[in-house]
Amino acid sequence: MSAGNQPAVAGQPGVIIEARGVVKSFGQTPALRGATLSTAQGEILAVMGPSGSGKSTLLHCLAGILTPDEGEVWFAGGRLDTRSEGERSALRRDRFGFVFQSGQLVPELTAEENVALPLLWSGTRRGPALAQARQWLGRLGLDGLERRRSGELSGGQAQRVALARGLVARPDIIFADEPTGSLDSVAGEHVMNLLTDAARQEGTTVILVTHEARVAAYASRQVIVRDGTVSTLTGVAP
Amino acid sequence: MIRLGLRLAVSGGREAVIRLVVLTAAVGLGVGLLLIAVSGINAVNSQNDRYAWFLTGNPGMPSGLASPHAKSREGATAETSGSTSADPLWWLLRDDVFDGQVIYRVDIAATGPASPVPPAIPRDPGPGQYYASPALAALLKTTPANELGDRYPGHLAGTIGDAALPSPDSLVIIAGDTAAQLAQAPGAARATSISATPPSGCNGDSCILGLGIDAKGLDLVLPVVALAMLVPVLVFIATATRLSAARREQRFAAMRLTGAAPKQISVIAAVESTVAALLGMAAGFGIFFGLRGPLAAIPFTGEPFFPGDLSLRLPGILIVTIGVPVAASVAARLALHRVHISPLGVTRRVTPQPPRAWRVLPLLAGLAELGFWVVRGAPKTIPGQVQALLPGFALVMAGLVLAGPWLTMAGARIMVLRTSRAATLIAARRLADNPRAAFRAVSGLVLALFITTVAAAIICTQDAKDGTTQVGGATASNILVDMNQGSFSRVAHYEVHTALGSARPAGLLARLRGIHGVGAALVLYADPGLTLPVSGRIGGHREQDQAGLVSCAQLATIPALGRCPAGAAVAAVDTNMGDTDLATATWPAAHVSAQRLDSLGALGIFVATNGSTRAVEQARTLLETAYPDASGAATFAEASIHASWRDVMYRQLADVVILVSLPIAGCTLAASIAAGLADRKRPFSMLRLAGAPLGGLQRVVALESAMPLLAVAAVAIGIGFGVSAMYATTQLAHPLVAPDAAYYLLTAAGIAVSLGIIAVTFPLLRRITGPEVARNE
Repeated sequence: MSAGNQPAVAGQPGVIIEARGVVKSFGQTPALRGATLSTAQGEILAVMGPSGSGKSTLLHCLAGILTPDEGEVWFAGGRLDTRSEGERSALRRDRFGFVFQSGQLVPELTAEENVALPLLWSGTRRGPALAQARQWLGRLGLDGLERRRSGELSGGQAQRVALARGLVARPDIIFADEPTGSLDSVAGEHVMNLLTDAARQEGTTVILVTHEARVAAYASRQVIVRDGTVSTLTGVAP
Repeated sequence: MIRLGLRLAVSGGREAVIRLVVLTAAVGLGVGLLLIAVSGINAVNSQNDRYAWFLTGNPGMPSGLASPHAKSREGATAETSGSTSADPLWWLLRDDVFDGQVIYRVDIAATGPASPVPPAIPRDPGPGQYYASPALAALLKTTPANELGDRYPGHLAGTIGDAALPSPDSLVIIAGDTAAQLAQAPGAARATSISATPPSGCNGDSCILGLGIDAKGLDLVLPVVALAMLVPVLVFIATATRLSAARREQRFAAMRLTGAAPKQISVIAAVESTVAALLGMAAGFGIFFGLRGPLAAIPFTGEPFFPGDLSLRLPGILIVTIGVPVAASVAARLALHRVHISPLGVTRRVTPQPPRAWRVLPLLAGLAELGFWVVRGAPKTIPGQVQALLPGFALVMAGLVLAGPWLTMAGARIMVLRTSRAATLIAARRLADNPRAAFRAVSGLVLALFITTVAAAIICTQDAKDGTTQVGGATASNILVDMNQGSFSRVAHYEVHTALGSARPAGLLARLRGIHGVGAALVLYADPGLTLPVSGRIGGHREQDQAGLVSCAQLATIPALGRCPAGAAVAAVDTNMGDTDLATATWPAAHVSAQRLDSLGALGIFVATNGSTRAVEQARTLLETAYPDASGAATFAEASIHASWRDVMYRQLADVVILVSLPIAGCTLAASIAAGLADRKRPFSMLRLAGAPLGGLQRVVALESAMPLLAVAAVAIGIGFGVSAMYATTQLAHPLVAPDAAYYLLTAAGIAVSLGIIAVTFPLLRRITGPEVARNE
């Protein structure tokens, strides 16, 4: 792993995703000014920074949601930012998982259907998809809530459903953008424990965007984004 | 509060302005259509009223009439009983044709100075005089006399005023005659007064066909047409009110947080809706007055209206100007009633209950009611039939709308259980969750498709029952038939009641054949009592086929009318030739010598032309001057159109329903989709971020709209055919005949347009689910 002035080399053993000198602006407003970051397989990385520092933009560039104006993004030894929108969508669907702050569940669907969505988008049959979804709901302590809609779940429960959805397709990387931002501290801790435990068990990389130090503490390494650049706070580069 | 409401409505940001514009457009469209529908009904009534005087002398009319020929048009005139006027007026209404246009010809003969005078002319024309409508006067002026003018000997005494003309294009002539002459004319009647009762006052088998709309038409058809057009508009307005509803409710919650009382919120909501209603009402009047002229020129009833006919009366204006804003205000209150707006946010008062199965009962009851009359047989009288069938139709129409949400929910639940596709799952879940909202967007379409299907199927069945001509192609328009068959009350069949007469004007056939463009002429001879042998019946569907005789030598000159068996000199032909497929007809030989034909009277004359207006009209004029007492000659095609004029009109009205309701339904769908997308902007954009393919989300939107649309279309069309079949059995005693291709094309095109409108919303989906939405929400 490396950050700031220590860029990793593409294809370096253990590095799964990497941003190199990424520049991104929205209109006249610069969000990233040459951000460089790499993450190792199975690592849990916290990206911290004040509001408006560009941490979410960095996450979106890494996930292929946004394409940088300058710089490169590499994933699993290949360029990600030069791929088409369709290819990046497929990558997000099949190799990445996402957990956001709130509002990510489709309100009409039950908890198990929400969790099964990534599998269904990928063409898995309904039966196996729902079975896997129920399995993940059970692992996250949501037994008995499979048929509930998002409106019938508490904030913590809904966030755990979202977590199950992020994990169900066994992604290489989980991108979590303020996953506890809408939860109280107890529920937030519960969700973070589940996220990090599951990630460690599955060997999944987690890139966690947060501005809360107690959430960042769950990560094996922390970087900070300030004025669109990345600097290392803790941890050791692989 | 009112001032704040006004400010929020007109300058409350982009979303508020869009909402105001869409709502104004929806209300404007609704009001415009409402005004057009109301004025249209007034126009049809006005047009119908001006047909009243044509019905003078008709036995179906209630007063002032005396017709010696009510039941039989054969033979000489009988003395009228019950005439009270000292100076009755001899009256004979006939139809004539020029270049496909009907000419109403009224021959009159005053018997004294007190004889009644038709409207819009100063006095009864004397022998050798005629009054013509402006359109006919212009036509007479510009058309060679041997094509038209020679049919009306005498001179133009003046033009007929608008008050006597159903339409500005009406071709009408009132010709003077001597009483002695007219008294001998078949069909002439003596009238003591001019009829003031329009065709809508006529309610029975003795009504004159081809003039105006009878009671059944006005009482039943027009309200149904108006309803079929208005329901989609009302649904559109209701859907438009849902646009940006969530954002608006959040704004109200923010106001509550700052101390606004619930009543004050209601006032603001009412003001916003009323502003849109007032603007929409103004737009609606603008639409009406802007479109009145062009609309008047469209022959919805088969002929254009005078622009002034599309008029509004005070009650209608008051209902619209007061009713629309009040309705908008009430709608705003009802919309807020469904949510509880607290200072901390908006919560739905109740989760909508799923529709219950009882909603299917009215539909089933309507079908059962109609089925009952199929089994039992319909009442004999028209009022009885209306009382028997109208509730069934009304129940079916209301039942379709009531059952729609339940059927939508049932179908969606089945899909939820069976699908393995994410898009289908999301769409089906949404439909199952709120089937009322899903169905609302297409409910107007249900009625429109149902009514159109019923109209198309019944009209085609009626046509088939009436035996509308089977003759098609060039034969239909090129062969002119003069068989005294074309007058108003006798247009349904080619049944021959009166021979042209035994005496043929000398050299008539030669003169006909001498017209440029006329290929041949054939005389159909009368042999009283002769019927076509069963073996010779072409198609064999008529109960009794009256036959005439033709010379095989003459028939050979017009092969389009069939052929004789080899070696025959004379053949017996069906006098109902229009019901027959003539192209393959081989008529049976008759045991009559060719020489004997000359001693027989003529039933009719067939003239084969090249189809040019000049040839057809010259031949028609020649025939009409040769047989002045007979009805006008007509081609097969003209007679067919004339016979089914009312069906044509109903079909046009059905087309109007489809053409008006489908685009409105499409707009409703688009508004509904936009509202649905706005509701789910965030979860959808999150799904896109997480890699859900845009195409998959587009499939969600398409399925949510297309599934109810197609399902509802299938149900409405299916039930439409079912109801039509029952009506055909009960009322027409004829098996249902499938509508023609135009119906299928129009329906398919309408559904395709609606699906196209759904596709138009896809760019909106792309835009509102982009990454920036997830960032900024």
